[in-house]
Amino acid sequence: MNTIAEHIADFLKEYPPFDNLTFQELSDIATNIRVINLEKHAVLFQNNDLLHDSFYVVASGIINLTTIADAEETIINKCHEGDIFGLRPFFAKNNYMMTAKAREESIIYAIPIAVFRPFVANNSDVLNFLLESFATNSRHTKDSVSSNGKMISDTSFYVDQQSEMQYIQSLNYNNSPLTTDASHIVKDVAILMTDAMMDNVIVCEKNRPIGIVTATDLASKIATGRYPITETIDKIMSSPVVTVIENVSLAEAQLLMLKHNVTHLCVTKDGTSKSAVKGIISEHDLIVAQASNPGVLIKEIKRSQLPKDLKQIRDRLSDLIQNSIQKNIPISHISNIVSEINLAIIKRAVELSILDLGSPPARFAWLSIGSQGRKEQLLLTDQDSILIFEDVAPEKYREVKDYFLRLAKRATSILEKVGYEFCPNGHMGSNMLWCKSLTDWTKQYNSWMNTPGENSNDLSSIFFDYEIVFGEPKIEEVIENVIFKNAVNNTLFFDFLGNDALKKNSPLSFFKKFIVEEEGPEKGKFDIKTRALMPLIDGARLLILNSNIKGIKNTYLRFKQLAITDSKNAEIYLSCAEAFLTLSKFRTVEGLKNDDSGQYINLREMSKTDKEKLKNALTPMKDLEELIKSKFQLTQFS
Amino acid sequence: MLDWIKNINKEYPDFWKDYLTKFETKPNRFVVLSTETSGLNPNKDVILSLGAFSVVDDSIIIKDNFEAVLLQYKFLQDNGLSNEFIIESKMLKMPEPDAIESLVNFIGNSILVGHHINFDIEMLNAALERLDCGRLKNEALDVDMMYRKLTDINDKQFSLDDLTEIFKIPKSDRNSSAEDAYKIALLFLKLKSRLGIK
Repeated sequence: MNTIAEHIADFLKEYPPFDNLTFQELSDIATNIRVINLEKHAVLFQNNDLLHDSFYVVASGIINLTTIADAEETIINKCHEGDIFGLRPFFAKNNYMMTAKAREESIIYAIPIAVFRPFVANNSDVLNFLLESFATNSRHTKDSVSSNGKMISDTSFYVDQQSEMQYIQSLNYNNSPLTTDASHIVKDVAILMTDAMMDNVIVCEKNRPIGIVTATDLASKIATGRYPITETIDKIMSSPVVTVIENVSLAEAQLLMLKHNVTHLCVTKDGTSKSAVKGIISEHDLIVAQASNPGVLIKEIKRSQLPKDLKQIRDRLSDLIQNSIQKNIPISHISNIVSEINLAIIKRAVELSILDLGSPPARFAWLSIGSQGRKEQLLLTDQDSILIFEDVAPEKYREVKDYFLRLAKRATSILEKVGYEFCPNGHMGSNMLWCKSLTDWTKQYNSWMNTPGENSNDLSSIFFDYEIVFGEPKIEEVIENVIFKNAVNNTLFFDFLGNDALKKNSPLSFFKKFIVEEEGPEKGKFDIKTRALMPLIDGARLLILNSNIKGIKNTYLRFKQLAITDSKNAEIYLSCAEAFLTLSKFRTVEGLKNDDSGQYINLREMSKTDKEKLKNALTPMKDLEELIKSKFQLTQFS
Repeated sequence: MLDWIKNINKEYPDFWKDYLTKFETKPNRFVVLSTETSGLNPNKDVILSLGAFSVVDDSIIIKDNFEAVLLQYKFLQDNGLSNEFIIESKMLKMPEPDAIESLVNFIGNSILVGHHINFDIEMLNAALERLDCGRLKNEALDVDMMYRKLTDINDKQFSLDDLTEIFKIPKSDRNSSAEDAYKIALLFLKLKSRLGIK
């Protein structure tokens, strides 16, 4: 006799699939249960954990099931009292594909699979229920049957979530890709592909991808007779192959294909070509339609011949942004797509200039800096760019630099015609200060970072947000390494950046009123760029450089990443990330309304609720400021 | 104080000797314990029922439990009470010596957990003395003390009802020592993680 086991059996029999079992059966199951208490935010299992020997039923509280894609956590489902989850061990052998985390303090029953399996085998209703729950992830509670008021709001919430999911859902792709060795003969590989009914094969060396062969390669290189069918496969493969990390989102995969102009992405363990192959994503996997297709715009950009064609496309992009904002598509996804289109336009501008001037005399990299470098440009703002060319023999230097200056002048003036104004501070590749050789740039960054106080007029933090637009990726890598090498234990530099980040004027007065411009043409308006967005942008850059995290350029993602890395301050970072999105949205809406950069917000035209929303988005800044102050003990420049 | 001298040449029952040897190893489980008694005086009153669950690796193991109703004929008759109801129920029934022996076997060297556990232990010690055994040697934790330590309150005691209220543990309509033991076990899990006890 076990009183509590009977209580648990009483509880379980209210919920499917347990309602199909007899009380005696339930008592036997309940006897074998473990009862677990999860504190708020405690994790029961997470993505890639080994499977547990139990599945779970929520006895009280709420458990969130989430996945992580592109450094963002997305809630797939919320499990309430009586809901079952963690069914993966029943049906699959690989590790967990999601994270289960307590949204509030919760009590969980762990039911051992070994105990429950016989009941599944003997009862098809139970099996069907479990299969269905596992497959759809939908909610099955006893109240979902009765559709009362509460459930209606729940349902609409889920519909919303679904439409957003289009952008962030993880992709289904082939995770048992065809692979072959570089030394195999084309004919054999073609037979292999035909037998497996696949249009692609990954060429591997020690399970690492070194190239890919697609049906297109076979058509263009074999069927044309350029290579015999007895050639080894590595002669006709496309290399290198574009690799991505697991859990890549639909949006991200699509962007990568557009960016690299390929039809297949190879999924590897850590996202680089230096690790094991996990799968292959083909264009076909992405064909899931998207309402307004940015891909069309990018294709058109690539075909444009004149600045005015590009301008037309840029104008259509504004419409796309406006529509997306109205459709409530998350601002982080909009800015991803917009940056990619901006990037294509800038790239095309450089390309058109090269077509005019003839081939460059040396390898070079054109980097976007500032907001485009951070991929958060939504409106037409001014241009910021730098040009880095490889080192050449001294006697050639003048000639080479001359070519690149002319190239940059041409490209920037094309961009001006498209609608991007020149940078008022001259932060452009066409400026002879910002168009120089790799050695000179290395010296420049060294001096900025090691003696930040001197010539501080030159140093603008936007030089630390950069993204390659055109040219040689290795050059960008070199610069990145210089920056991160210099950043290590560089108290002076962080002191400087820290003070720079904190010296911005505060957005609210002591009485929590907005501080507005007191004079000038924008009198009475609120400067959302300098007073609200910049402190967040500067703070995120400072912290990410300090944590030595490479490759994350976007303010929103920087805060998200910081929340993961420095979990003890996670709450602050997450609210900053949210605030940044809210503020960006305000700025974008204002900018679209007035057809300008949206820097100044006219508070008088705002509704009261919007003002409150704006004010709320300003509150995390104080915490961030305190965090920076305590983290860097700012002294030297204050 | 000088109990051990009294016991020095005493011949203990076998189960007790067995119990004593279990302390050569370190405990790896907790046993949450609750007793129902006829009153508050360990010398005059007796245990009417026992409920216990084990807690291992931060989970309550439902299977690893002990529940018993003690048949206290002498007590019931002396007080003119009927034992009809007890006889009718499905609960496992044992005479006091058997129940105490089974319980001692069940707890072994575990760390005992309870609400005002010292009283439960005193009641058990009194019963053990009637069996010519020594006193319980287990370490013990009191959820009330744990809660007061957590909140830094020193001037007040909290009843089990207070604590279940504070931690929003669902109430049950039935009342027995097994119910109480389960509630205490849930409380213990919550307090344990908050206090960082391993």
